[in-house]
Amino acid sequence: MTLADGVQLVSTLILAAMVIGAALGVVLFDNIVYSAFTLGGVFISIAGLYILMNADFVSAAQVLIYVGAVNVLILFAIMLVNKQEVYSPVPRRWIRKLSAALVSAGLFGLLTVMLLQTEWLPNAAQTAPDSTVILIGEHFFSDYLLPFELASILLLMALVGAVVIARRESIVGEDTAIVGEQPAPVLELPERPREPVA
Amino acid sequence: MDVANLASQLNAGAILPEGAVILTLMVVLIGELALGRASAARWTPYVAIAGLLLSVGLLCLQWDLTPTLSFLGSFNADKLSIVLRSIIALSTLVTILMSIRYVEQAGSSIGEFMTILLSATVGGMFLCGAEELTMIFVSLETLSIASYLLTGYMKRDPRSNEAALKYLLIGAASSAVFLYGLSLLYGLSGGETHLSAIANALAQGTNHLGLLIALVFVIAGISFKIAAVPFHQWTPDVYEGAPTPVVAFLSVGSKAAGFALAIRLLTQAFPAVVEQWQFIFTALAILSMVLGNVVAIAQTSMKRMLAYSSIGQAGFVMIGFVIGTEAGYASMIFYLLIYLFMNLGAFTCIILFALRTGTDQISEYAGLYQKDPLLTLALSLCLLSLGGIPPLAGFFGKIYLFWAGWQAGAYGLVILGLVTSVISIYYYIRVVKMMVVKEPQEMSDVVLNYPAINWTPLGMRPLQVGLFVTLIATSIAGILSNPLFTLVNNAVVEVPHLQTANAAKTPMAILPTTTPELPAPLVSNSDSTAL
Repeated sequence: MTLADGVQLVSTLILAAMVIGAALGVVLFDNIVYSAFTLGGVFISIAGLYILMNADFVSAAQVLIYVGAVNVLILFAIMLVNKQEVYSPVPRRWIRKLSAALVSAGLFGLLTVMLLQTEWLPNAAQTAPDSTVILIGEHFFSDYLLPFELASILLLMALVGAVVIARRESIVGEDTAIVGEQPAPVLELPERPREPVA
Repeated sequence: MDVANLASQLNAGAILPEGAVILTLMVVLIGELALGRASAARWTPYVAIAGLLLSVGLLCLQWDLTPTLSFLGSFNADKLSIVLRSIIALSTLVTILMSIRYVEQAGSSIGEFMTILLSATVGGMFLCGAEELTMIFVSLETLSIASYLLTGYMKRDPRSNEAALKYLLIGAASSAVFLYGLSLLYGLSGGETHLSAIANALAQGTNHLGLLIALVFVIAGISFKIAAVPFHQWTPDVYEGAPTPVVAFLSVGSKAAGFALAIRLLTQAFPAVVEQWQFIFTALAILSMVLGNVVAIAQTSMKRMLAYSSIGQAGFVMIGFVIGTEAGYASMIFYLLIYLFMNLGAFTCIILFALRTGTDQISEYAGLYQKDPLLTLALSLCLLSLGGIPPLAGFFGKIYLFWAGWQAGAYGLVILGLVTSVISIYYYIRVVKMMVVKEPQEMSDVVLNYPAINWTPLGMRPLQVGLFVTLIATSIAGILSNPLFTLVNNAVVEVPHLQTANAAKTPMAILPTTTPELPAPLVSNSDSTAL
């Protein structure tokens, strides 16, 4: 084992420990702000793993998007909601926790067995490219052109949808309502809600 | 690779129909932005309808071209994808016809509604032809995210909010599971993303367990999209809370896209485990048929009833999918085509009723015949067709499905399908009986106060056109079904991977003496597969 291999192995182990530790923190902390910060830790550790796999661009994108955008957004959401509410503990909560743990452990076992049994085919391109950015760019404008372009439609639609949901409504067409005698409810379903079952 | 060389290899003409839809979307969005909401609402719906008609026309023109992969293997414009893309475009068209009045009455903007709906259509249409994992995922997400947004469109209604949130959370979870399955496929095949290359790479390996786990994860994602039991829990709440035109689109367009994904991904990428995926889908079909049809009996709200009935209908369609014969796939697409008209017809009727009376409770339909014979006739015909009553289109769709299943030896499934169809006839006829049989003194309050029938307000005419188109199609598509049969048969026969998927199975070559109404080309086709 050369020095480079040794460094890589040790870094992988450290990063893996960080991912697992931070992920456990996300699940186990009672305070949701702590969970959000440890989630940022998970993202950063995964970015480190990407660097070890020579995926420098993906790693940078991971830090920018997940840590810079997604995680900050989560923190903002927590800050804006900021509602103190006391939850009464659900009776027999341990049954739910136990079953969730059993399912997760079973899935983990299954995936581990699968990972160990499988003979993974080696990737044809073993040598790392000089510049991943150039390679990704070439793919975007050749064989991944269509999904790349479709993603722009997806983003446009998401933008329009976000505006629709977030804006304050100025109502049009209120006077043309034809439901019975009373005017139609604005921005609500025309069907009346069902009476709650007594 | 220089630009001119690349452009000649892209074969971009294959996505012209989608291009037409995208162009329409832009015109609608920019037109509304430039001219203001009130004036744009008078012409943008017609632009959208014209664009969708253009898209369907372009699809028809592509029918005779030799199918070639375009965008370096990302997109396959074969006949199967042409039929399914047409189904999605048509379902959006009818959805727009019924949504103009609905959105107008809710005081919201039709332009933005149609922009999101059209991008859902683009996603669904691309999904039908996607040949590559990245393309599949991006188009699936385009369809899904647009659906979440449309579900929450009535944002002041808590039911709509609840539906959108539930749909978003469950949908995100299922997307994640689906993506995990795709990443396993990518890894197992040694870094391939094209479906045919994945199949080649997997044929050499012996990674049975990994492949099975990938299969299960992928099926979980697909089943969520087509609302197969046990991945159906979101359906009733979402159908009840979403705006009704959106429900219509989800139950037809989105479901057709899910089935298109199922056909392409499972037959092409998983030829090594055909037995297993057919087994899983058999279980899903049985559960969907039984649960969907039985729970629908107990519903009191029309939208919820149609939600459960659509689960049951998806179960019927899955019969054609699991038997894996050519006739099976053809019958499945044929049924989707018929289902498009009858289900959208039913939704047009309940939208009209809800707009006039403000309710969708089944008991409130009592005595409608006295006040609005046209609506009663249209709703009755569509519901009877959904149930499979003989002269209507749904009967021919069902008999073709069951005949294909019987030919392939799936006796149990077909018998279960027959039994559950009888159950479904019960709850469909209950609504018809409520509307027709009741005496004038048993009329419900809302029907007593039924407003005068008036087709002049903005958006009522398109609703009327949609009502008549779906009504006529539901009534005569069964009797004049021969062209449709030929169409779907041609679509299936020319797709190579549908043949290889069932090479092992030899259906019995018995002439169907019990079903004389099936046309000649169909019979000769199925015989040629058997020999």
